Amino acid sequence: MRRDYLLYLVVASLCVLGIAAVYSVDPLREEGFWGRSFAGRQFLWNLAGWGMFILFRFADFQWFLKKSSIWYFLSVLALGAVLVFGESDETGAKRWLFSRSVQPSEIAKFAFLLFLSWYLSVNRDALGFWNLLVKSFFFTALPAFLIFLEPDLGTALVFGILWFGALLIGGWQAKKLGILSGMLFGLLPASWFFLKDYQRRRILAFLDPWQDPLGSGYNVVQSQIAIGAGGVLGQGWLSGKQTQLRFLPARYTDFIFASWCEQLGFVGGMVIICLFGVLFWVILDTATRARELEKQLFASLFGLMLLFQVGVNIGMNLGIAPVTGIPLPFVSYGGSSLFVYLACTGIVARIAWEVEEGEKRQWM
Amino acid sequence: MWSEEMGEKVRQRITLLFWLGILLFCVLSGRLWYLSVLRADWFRERSERNRVRVVFLQALRGNIYDRNGFCLAKDVPRFRLVFLVGSGQREDVLQRIKSILGKEVAFSLRERGAGEVVLLEDVPLEDVVKIEENRGALPGVLIETYPMRSYESGEVFAPVLGYVGRISAEELKTLGKMGYRAEDRVGKSGVEAFYESVLRGREGYRRVEVDALGRVVQVLDFRPPSFTHSLQLTIDAELQKVCYEALGKRNGVVIVGDPRNGEILAFVSKPSFDPNLFSRGVTAQEWLRLIQEASNPLLVRPIQALYPPGSLFKILVALAAQEEKVVAPRETFFCPGYLEYAGRRYLCWRRGGHGRVSFEEAIAQSCNVAFYTLGLRLGPEKIARYARMFGFGENPGLDLSGVNTGFLPTPEWKRETLKEIWYPGDTMNLSIGQGYLLVTPFEMYLLLCAVAGRGKVYNPHVLFRVIDAGGQVVQETKPYLRKVITLHSQTWDAVVRGMEKVVTQGTGFNCRGLPVKLAAKTGTAQNPQGREHSWFGGFFPSDNPRFVFLVLVEHGGDGSGEAAHVARRIIEWILRERGV
Repeated sequence: MRRDYLLYLVVASLCVLGIAAVYSVDPLREEGFWGRSFAGRQFLWNLAGWGMFILFRFADFQWFLKKSSIWYFLSVLALGAVLVFGESDETGAKRWLFSRSVQPSEIAKFAFLLFLSWYLSVNRDALGFWNLLVKSFFFTALPAFLIFLEPDLGTALVFGILWFGALLIGGWQAKKLGILSGMLFGLLPASWFFLKDYQRRRILAFLDPWQDPLGSGYNVVQSQIAIGAGGVLGQGWLSGKQTQLRFLPARYTDFIFASWCEQLGFVGGMVIICLFGVLFWVILDTATRARELEKQLFASLFGLMLLFQVGVNIGMNLGIAPVTGIPLPFVSYGGSSLFVYLACTGIVARIAWEVEEGEKRQWM
Repeated sequence: MWSEEMGEKVRQRITLLFWLGILLFCVLSGRLWYLSVLRADWFRERSERNRVRVVFLQALRGNIYDRNGFCLAKDVPRFRLVFLVGSGQREDVLQRIKSILGKEVAFSLRERGAGEVVLLEDVPLEDVVKIEENRGALPGVLIETYPMRSYESGEVFAPVLGYVGRISAEELKTLGKMGYRAEDRVGKSGVEAFYESVLRGREGYRRVEVDALGRVVQVLDFRPPSFTHSLQLTIDAELQKVCYEALGKRNGVVIVGDPRNGEILAFVSKPSFDPNLFSRGVTAQEWLRLIQEASNPLLVRPIQALYPPGSLFKILVALAAQEEKVVAPRETFFCPGYLEYAGRRYLCWRRGGHGRVSFEEAIAQSCNVAFYTLGLRLGPEKIARYARMFGFGENPGLDLSGVNTGFLPTPEWKRETLKEIWYPGDTMNLSIGQGYLLVTPFEMYLLLCAVAGRGKVYNPHVLFRVIDAGGQVVQETKPYLRKVITLHSQTWDAVVRGMEKVVTQGTGFNCRGLPVKLAAKTGTAQNPQGREHSWFGGFFPSDNPRFVFLVLVEHGGDGSGEAAHVARRIIEWILRERGV
């Protein structure tokens, strides 16, 4: 099967599944599908998001790539604006602009992805030199630090992972990467002192959630209970007790996987994991087959970002990763993240199409 | 520099990333398998515990009535506020409660069970209404009803009823097997403790499904708490009150009973305490005040306090002397005001002496010299034997908790404990109820019962009958002949005649002139701590006794005074209101 068709199918399935999942935990379900209900809004965002998908599928990828320093600059500005004009959410973190409709850190991910692919491919001759490493580190650290100040540790971490992944995929010497990761691990304990109190509590709660199951460990415990109580086949559509009685926090965003599993069980959970697995495979397959370095970098870095977010989000749902505010791509309620992912998959779909066409031409 | 080799390297790295990703997906799937397949049952149970909350509703206790159906103790409903931890910020909720009630409140914040905190106990109804109106603003706050023990005229009946309190940690260890919980009430003394198993009813429960905010979504199952049995006591509430008031400002003991069946009609101990304090949970301050009070109001004097019996004990010595025939018929004793023995003078209470007195007059005048003589003739062993025969130092079998026994000295005891020999002086002290001898008022009461019944002693009891929740009598206490003390009838006659003369000619002059034949004896117990304790006990009508009474007034002076006055008021009330 052609990879680009497979990509459409998998992404569309994940989006539909996301709408269904949001619907199943929608506190405003009675408001109707078009009204103010969460599922309705998720549906509208999907429509707009697929518009983005089509735009990036047919637009000239190279043009976007060449202009990526502009996107990068704009996104850093937006992140700065968040810190100055931003609005806080329930946890007290400033993450939003324009009356909580846009989350610039999500947009910044996209811009950074383009920028990093472009920057490394332009400087491909310097790959493997410390000089480039320091420069690219600076470009990573700037948005990551701004996001860290919001604070949004999880998203800031995504930038770091992308940077490290870019070095890895860019063919950096294994020895140097080893030294680098050794240094980073060495700094890890020191980072404890820069964390906010609630972030520390989250990490402690991750290490032993049952220590304080009603306090800081509450999320982790309740989500595991929800998944476990689901069993093999789940408690049935719309009828998970953990979810419906609202023991599970952040049901339609961070912990949507847990509420999904409570309703549809191990089988339902495996459907999501397998869909992401296939998507990941298609993206990396496209990356290996692409001819140009910038396309390889973009596709594989996007694959890495997807892998990281899926791993952390599902991992925290399952109690094997610390709780960070990282949403589940395509599925979690929220527009910004959905737009960015659909735009990225649009680009990957274009690359896949180009690869298919290119290979076809080769044999003709 | 960029080269084809580098391009190959990039592909290798992407493949590496791919396998890393596959590994991660495998880990996630494995963990999902572990949670939702392997441990599903355990988590399902946790989820169940999350949403289903079983609220146990404290068992009610049966009511306690007096013999005429007057209610002495019952359960009344009270309200408490419970906060479910995890369903909101505790500090916010406390602030909101304060502003809703519009006043400062002292929160008890007692942890109860898993994740539940009792905020307030005994909330007044108007506050409950205010809270109920603002339920929306108070997530996780529940209003709970619970029963509280309420006593009518608490102080008067506390010695017999006792009190209930929250079960202690040690009690829970032994009673936990019988279904008691940490929140439960348990009888701590008196009837409440003795008949705990009868009074304790069945606990109720409410299984509710709650949401994460602790709001009840639906009630799954409900069983109201109930009681199974009520008690009716032999106590006559009106008589009890009369006895309590008759003591006036004095501290002391009054026991009134029926010698024909062992029923206790009045059982007064003063000073007393208000058992309602314990029902609502006694504060540390109140508790300290109760136990530091010099007069010790928590002591149930009739069965727990020890006193020297004084001349009241002469009844026993007189019985023993008659029965052992150490006194000849028509024998007289000469009392010059003292008895000289081995170079020492043992004084009679009347300094001038009683002159020549017969056996019966010796009882009537309570002549010490005559009883010194009788005591010496009997010897300490025989006195102790008779005392034991009449139940001294023996559990009286009364159905109240915490019954004490007195102390009966013997030569053997003195040799072993004090490492001293028994002197004749000790015998003389014993024969007038002084010295080492200590008794509980209840032991003296039983001696009077034995004399009144001419040796027939019925088991004393306060339980009249047990009534079930529907009002049907399910059990009645039958008179149970505890023991029969067989003495010659001349012995009984002589002593009873002597006791009648106490009233008509002797020390009991304060009770003279009552329209009933009364047999009684005064007693004056010397007391190193102050003024003598004043005893007065007896029975009437003396030829066919229906009432036995015993009065002890602490520091009341001699027995012919205060105690007899108190007794007279009680006897007059009985004759007027209950008839003979």
